[in-house]
Amino acid sequence: MTAMPLTALALDELRALLGEDGVVADASSLFTYDADAMTLSRVAPDVVALPRTSDEVAAVLLWARSHGLPVTPRGAGTGLAGGCTCESGGVSLSLNRMDRVLSVDHERLFAWVQPGLVNLWLSQQLAPAGLYFAPDPASQQVSTIGGNVSTNAGGPHCLKYGVTLNHILGVTVVLEDGASVTLGGEACDAPDFDLASVVIGSEGTTAVVTAVCVRLLPVPEAVQTMLFDFESVEDACHTVSRVIAEGIVPAAMEIMDRHTVGLVEAWLQMGLPTDAAALLLIEVDGPAVSLPSQVERIGEIAREWRARSQRVAKDAAERALLWKGRKSAFGAYGRTASGFYIMDGVVPRTKLAEALATIYRLAEERGLEAGNVFHAGDGNLHPHVLFDAKSEQQQQDALEVSHEILRMCIRFGGTISGEHGVGIEKRPMMTELFGADDLAVMERVRAAFDPARMLNPGKILPGGSGCGEAHAHARGPAQLGGMMFGVDAARSAGPEGPNLPWI
Amino acid sequence: MQLTKADFRIGGAEPRELWVPANAEAAAEAVRACAEARETLVPWGGGVTLAHEAAPERYDRALGLGALDAMVAYEPDDFTLTAQCGITIAELRRTLAARGQELPLEAAHAERATLGGVLAANASGARRLRFGAPRDRILGARFVTGDGVLARTGGRVVKNVAGHAVHRLLTGSEGGLGVFVEASLKLLPLPPARLALTHGADGALLADAARWRAFPRRECAVLTVLGEEAAPSFTVPGAPFTVIVGYEDDAARVADDARFTAAQLGAPRARRDASDVPPLWQELATLEERPGARLTFTSAHRTPDAIAFLGGHDAARTLVFHAAHGRLHLWPRAEDATALLAAAAAHGFTPIGSRGIALPARPLTGAKHALRVRLSDALDPARVFALGERWRAR
Ligand SMILES: Cc1cc2nc3c(=O)[nH]c(=O)nc-3n(C[C@H](O)[C@H](O)[C@H](O)COP(=O)(O)OP(=O)(O)OC[C@H]3O[C@@H](n4cnc5c(N)ncnc54)[C@H](O)[C@@H]3O)c2cc1C
Ligand SMILES: Cc1cc2nc3c(=O)[nH]c(=O)nc-3n(C[C@H](O)[C@H](O)[C@H](O)COP(=O)(O)OP(=O)(O)OC[C@H]3O[C@@H](n4cnc5c(N)ncnc54)[C@H](O)[C@@H]3O)c2cc1C
Repeated sequence: MTAMPLTALALDELRALLGEDGVVADASSLFTYDADAMTLSRVAPDVVALPRTSDEVAAVLLWARSHGLPVTPRGAGTGLAGGCTCESGGVSLSLNRMDRVLSVDHERLFAWVQPGLVNLWLSQQLAPAGLYFAPDPASQQVSTIGGNVSTNAGGPHCLKYGVTLNHILGVTVVLEDGASVTLGGEACDAPDFDLASVVIGSEGTTAVVTAVCVRLLPVPEAVQTMLFDFESVEDACHTVSRVIAEGIVPAAMEIMDRHTVGLVEAWLQMGLPTDAAALLLIEVDGPAVSLPSQVERIGEIAREWRARSQRVAKDAAERALLWKGRKSAFGAYGRTASGFYIMDGVVPRTKLAEALATIYRLAEERGLEAGNVFHAGDGNLHPHVLFDAKSEQQQQDALEVSHEILRMCIRFGGTISGEHGVGIEKRPMMTELFGADDLAVMERVRAAFDPARMLNPGKILPGGSGCGEAHAHARGPAQLGGMMFGVDAARSAGPEGPNLPWI
Repeated sequence: MQLTKADFRIGGAEPRELWVPANAEAAAEAVRACAEARETLVPWGGGVTLAHEAAPERYDRALGLGALDAMVAYEPDDFTLTAQCGITIAELRRTLAARGQELPLEAAHAERATLGGVLAANASGARRLRFGAPRDRILGARFVTGDGVLARTGGRVVKNVAGHAVHRLLTGSEGGLGVFVEASLKLLPLPPARLALTHGADGALLADAARWRAFPRRECAVLTVLGEEAAPSFTVPGAPFTVIVGYEDDAARVADDARFTAAQLGAPRARRDASDVPPLWQELATLEERPGARLTFTSAHRTPDAIAFLGGHDAARTLVFHAAHGRLHLWPRAEDATALLAAAAAHGFTPIGSRGIALPARPLTGAKHALRVRLSDALDPARVFALGERWRAR
């Protein structure tokens, strides 16, 4: 669906539905809704609707339908794939004013929340009761639960705790025709099509999420953080595999490569070993009784794989320090280059070392620098290719290198996105990952949810028809400017104080 | 053993034809041919459930998937596997156990139950809350739609958000939307320690909510209540109820959990450790397939006291209640069923399945039903899947 021109009369109708403060239509304000954190695809919506209730969401959808306007749901706009960009104009449906915790069941460990609730706020509200919501994307201080659900967000701790899908019991959604339905719910596994699990991760293309039933977990009693350094990336990767193979599932396992360590150290002078090929940060959590033996065993394994040194945080301050290098990587890239392109490819964990070597080679062939900080436990790479934003040639080269990197992920049996989503950004790669039949089947399911194709049209599937043609969309790499906003965000409500975010 | 049509009876009804494809392409071809001939088909795994189902209105062909039983890719260090969907759960378990890993899903009669059948039923076991259901474990799949298209969604790696998750839609669709031919799943390392504690309980202990309140936060692997006659081989003699508490973690934590449990419930009547534990989880799953008229309920409850209301009912004697995730199975006498359904509803239990007892018809109207029908039409335009009819009954 492509937007029809919006008349003054139509706008008045919308204001009548939502009130004056529920509608944004002046050009200068619309400009702030023209992109998410992937800022090189910018299209301002024709209007922004800010409903306060599920009924108002339904009213907006019916209104949009009657005016032939596409609707693109929007949470906090921290997406990294252009998911909430109103590519075909129309309505940006901002869920930000639906930001309440509706109910918490402290004994049965679930809560109903509105979609515009910021991820971290939920865990902060639950903290006095010793509970939290496990999915912790690095953007959690800003991003919304609705956005997390719609992107099936991950985070550094999803190695142990799983991704958003694993923590959602049910959702209430408004369908394209304005009907409100609850999919799943507090009780597990009613025999039905698992419609919630299709909505989860569908990037606003199947339904608008208006309430979410989340699973809650008890806050771990204790946390231990370790940092190791290695002379080869392979040894770091082997340590990761070995630890898991022994039945220890750490909360997080993050690797930072030499390139990144060098940039961080040049910036912060933290005393990081710049001659190390890789730093490996491992965090374990759980009951206090469990941790000493895990820490000891992990240390032994790391030494077996030739770790040169080991640091174990003695207190919260030291823990924050160990994380600091990891969390500063993003800022360090930004400080070094005027532009960088971030990928979100995944390879099987056993292919990590080979994948890294390939990434360095691909960048080097074009005279570019590439760094890596990544969720090693689940093979989710976040290669960053640095470039000079003023050089068209470098920008183009960086884009090509990043596509080559994603092709490598596919070749290695992996995928093009582990957590950020496809949106606009990775849409052209979908035809390389999937065959025409696969995409056409996805399109059938999507069309069953949204027969009029009015929900976030054009996203995810190339050509919109799923018939396999590549989408020729003018676009470029995500630039630093649009992605820096969150740099002073905190990761969690934990005792370690404010943290820098990372991806 | 050569299978015949008689091995594929559903509710006594025999298919006119039996097809046993040797590979995914042949399975797709079979479905396509069926669609073209305007006939209906039922995908068959091990038949654990199917054999007891009511006969579908029309049942032209059985699609036996038993020949699709290969392990396609298993790289232990990646903690993932890709297998054809006719492989049995027991076979998967053996392969994984040899490498110190597991797929934490129980299914009744694991020697017969297939990966495809378990995915299609979204079947899990007593450990469901702690380790997830198939929808949480499936990473991607190859499947055949009702018009015979062989497609693939998701992937083989543990994290993946590229594209629409049609494989998750098929999970739990009970053979009504597509045929799984191959699936990739996320595995777990075997836990360093396992413990199963068996306690006897009377009605008063069961009803004592304060005693159970702390259990959900312990994140037990299993918290299951059995009626006194549910499982003669392991229920506590003389006790009206048996409560089985299971823990799977590192040794230090499990020891701490054991102390906690003793403080709440006293010394256990029986205890199993390490490799003696999984067979118990399997027995609990197989209990659910005990013959006789059965009612299954789901609920949001997480603790044993939720079923205290069943105390006076005859069906309490054989009940199986997975308190950790609120799933209750009852085998009532025919004359008690109505009263039980009413009592259960009053206590937050929703009936989700039955065998040999008629349940009140599901409401097949409204926006959600319309969506179900649109999805059925989208993936099975020729209405090939005989069992799909229950989803769209218009
Ligand atoms: C610094 C930084 C760090 C990040 N770290 C991570 C990370 O660790 N892990 C990770 O997974 N992601 C990460 N991201 C990406 C992003 O934060 C996540 O994708 C997040 O889930 C998006 O939430 P949001 O509220 O900002 O959604 P938006 O960006 O507003 O929207 C994302 C998508 O969801 C849809 N949507 C939003 N709300 C709804 C709704 N209520 N109903 C239907 N559809 C809706 C939109 O249409 C869009 O397609 C990071 C981003 C930044 C900038
Ligand atoms: C709604 C429901 C919930 C259940 N929950 C549980 C549970 O929680 N725990 C438990 O132990 N058991 C459960 N069962 C029983 C469960 O069906 C069996 O454990 C499991 O499905 C047996 O596998 P099977 O290979 O014998 O399947 P079958 O009995 O052969 O088939 C079961 C269903 O799956 C379909 N099917 C089989 N193979 C495929 C395939 N490859 N592709 C598509 N569809 C296929 C069949 O058409 C049929 O609808 C449940 C059953 C149902 C119907």
